[in-house]
Amino acid sequence: MNPRNSLMIFGGGGLAIYALFFASSYDQRLLTLSGIYVVLVLGYQFIFGHAGALSLAQGAFFGLGAYTSGILGSQYGAEFLVTFPLSVAATVTIAALVSIPVLRLQSHYFALATLALSQLLLLIAINWEPMTGGANGLSGVPPVRILGWQLARGLPLLSFVWIIAGLAMLVSYWQINTARKAAFTVMRETPLATAAFGIDSSMLRFRAFLLSAAFGGAAGALFVHTNRVVSPETLSFGVMITCLTMTVVGGRFGISGAVIGALLLTHLPEWFRGLQEYYLVAVGVLLLATVVFAPNGIEGLLRFGKSSPKPSAGTATDEKSDPADIGSSELIATHLSKRYGGVRALDDVNLRIQPGEIVGVIGPNGAGKTTLANILTGSATSDAGTVTLAGHDITHAPEYQIARLGLTRTFQTPQLPADLSVRDIIRIAQADRPAANTDAVLRNFNLLAVADMPCGTIAHGIRRQVEVCRAVAAEPGALVLDEPGAGLSPEEQGEIGALCRTLAENGLAILLIDHNVAFLKPLVTRMICMESGRIIADGTPEDVLADPRVQDAYFGVTTL
Amino acid sequence: MLAAQLLLNALSLGAAYALVALGFVLVLNATTAVNFAHGESVVAGGFTAVALTFFLPPDLRIPGLILLPGVVVVTAVLGLAIGALAYLPIRNRPPVSVFVTTIAVGMIVANGLNATFGAAPRTAPPLIGVGTIDLIGVSISRQSLAIIATACVLIGGLAIVLQRTQLGRQFRACSQDPEMARAIGIRLTRITLLSFAVGTVFAGAAGLLLAHQFFISPADGAPLILKAYIAVVIGGWGSLRGAALGASLIAVFEVGVAAISSQPLAEGLLYVIVLVVLFLRPQGLFGEPQQVRA
Repeated sequence: MNPRNSLMIFGGGGLAIYALFFASSYDQRLLTLSGIYVVLVLGYQFIFGHAGALSLAQGAFFGLGAYTSGILGSQYGAEFLVTFPLSVAATVTIAALVSIPVLRLQSHYFALATLALSQLLLLIAINWEPMTGGANGLSGVPPVRILGWQLARGLPLLSFVWIIAGLAMLVSYWQINTARKAAFTVMRETPLATAAFGIDSSMLRFRAFLLSAAFGGAAGALFVHTNRVVSPETLSFGVMITCLTMTVVGGRFGISGAVIGALLLTHLPEWFRGLQEYYLVAVGVLLLATVVFAPNGIEGLLRFGKSSPKPSAGTATDEKSDPADIGSSELIATHLSKRYGGVRALDDVNLRIQPGEIVGVIGPNGAGKTTLANILTGSATSDAGTVTLAGHDITHAPEYQIARLGLTRTFQTPQLPADLSVRDIIRIAQADRPAANTDAVLRNFNLLAVADMPCGTIAHGIRRQVEVCRAVAAEPGALVLDEPGAGLSPEEQGEIGALCRTLAENGLAILLIDHNVAFLKPLVTRMICMESGRIIADGTPEDVLADPRVQDAYFGVTTL
Repeated sequence: MLAAQLLLNALSLGAAYALVALGFVLVLNATTAVNFAHGESVVAGGFTAVALTFFLPPDLRIPGLILLPGVVVVTAVLGLAIGALAYLPIRNRPPVSVFVTTIAVGMIVANGLNATFGAAPRTAPPLIGVGTIDLIGVSISRQSLAIIATACVLIGGLAIVLQRTQLGRQFRACSQDPEMARAIGIRLTRITLLSFAVGTVFAGAAGLLLAHQFFISPADGAPLILKAYIAVVIGGWGSLRGAALGASLIAVFEVGVAAISSQPLAEGLLYVIVLVVLFLRPQGLFGEPQQVRA
């Protein structure tokens, strides 16, 4: 057992003994409150930690759950078994509704929108007096009663809250399994490449947001039934800041982080009693210092060294992956056009790449080469025209779907999360190819030696190969390589070139964008030259390079 | 008559909001990060004025405008502290980190003020004097006029510095392409800190302007940062002119809706409109979609 796990078990056991035998009734109240915050923070970890989005609505979800339970309990005398599920349901419903406009926003706007939502709910709670009791809130919320058995304050309530917290931990553990954790990491650290991995990032983010809402609503409901009153305090920005502080100080990713953060921040006022009203100033300083000096919180500090990479789950076998496994598909683009403002980035581009063919694309900067790659792979949409892959129309398919259908790509700058190992990367790319053999793919690319190294530590040339390997690992039929040779030495370019040739021999249709004519010329079966969004030459490399228009546009040589 | 007074109210509120929003954009442009402590900087400016008045003999009825230099000094120091502690050490981390550190600074400021002065709203002395002056049959509040005039002087000064001076050109260069600016010898760190100082001074000045008529309490930071933020969404991310325009629109909307219904409804409607705007135009009202290259 690793030392971190044993520490968690000893810590948990010690805490239980303290709660059972030594805690005063006041201590027990603090522990109960901690348990509620554990649920809230576990929820916040989904969206803030794993999805990496600064939601400022977690406090609002807490308040929404609190008010749902508060109103039902106080106005209608509803029992916990009714109010609790309804609180979760109400919060998730609101979250699902706002997620439509909110989740596709970029980070700054996402924070703003979630903050606006919070302020809106607070205003409603204060001003809708007949329902919410206005600024005073509502009292007389019934205590937790289950099948006629009322939970007394103190140990019974404390145990109950921590049982719910334990269930929340199980849900969190089950939701953040290894595969999904890796997918979240890709989404957080290389957002542009998420879809190229075949990951549906909007679905991931949606899931994280709804889970955070559900946990927030549950925590709010628990809070109201233990406090027996609900007030606008529960919706104030203060709850949000408390939750944020717990998550940052404890740790954004793990169950231990949530528990540590919640316990620490609920007990800190006791320990800092000497500071009196200035206590919250000290908490602010703690938050600031944590972000600067311990970005992964206490959880990060507790990680004893860096945990050594786990041996691969898939056992290494000697068989190489059968080249016939790799699908083959013809990629056809017709009449593609795209404008950015007044600039024609693509102007009536027609293209056909057959299986086994390597088509090179050259052209000066701004000719539309990367735009073409983006539109083919779905990361940009064309204004007109169609793209088909193996006969299927993929013009309007979402980017991740195109990757899954068998058209993958690489980027000008390799997009590989620094903390994930090469093996992790390949495994994520193969997520919906259960039969795929990770080790065989790595062996084909001669990457077994670096398989367990984090991508942030490997050399640039190898990163390029990993990126190509990632694109091939999903067993695509067609491949778009955006400047795979850029920044590489001639030897490394040679290796990438040989790789491309093998892939084409195995039946892939390859579109290869590069500036370097010397690199492309011996490699490609056909060459295309673009200028100002148009294809100005298409044919064998010799013919294209001899074309006077190409020489004029690309080499700046005016033929007389 | 009433309409004219309402309009003047809206304009003075808009002028103060414009200062807040401009300060916000200055920092945004220099760092591409959102300074969440900006709302608390407004509050800090207001409370500096309250505190300075406290030290003066109570029978001495001084005009609030005399306090402006004091407010400027205090909030400039605050701005430098925000830049040095909450931004520079983590400038290479994802933008979410700066969000969190500036939230922490806001928390420190708000709770420090709360512990020192209490939660109750306070008021600063009027800028020039109370009462109204008659102008072609319309009675105009001196305070409103003074707010508009002070804000115009500050905004005009900023415009001149940015457009006409070498320092202003360096500012603009840093906001357009920080790497290039550094490459041609501009001291990026110095300009960054300066933007924090100037941005926070603008917020602080707005605090002084707002603190007489609208009162100021330690918890006012959140709605203020939210309005600055909304002004930037309306005006286009990073646009100074747009931010000032957006701030004025928010003030006109607030005063207008509050006049025919109530203040909470005005505020609530504003937030609903923001959510709708973001739904229809995720890049902001006048913003261009940003292209990210890989």
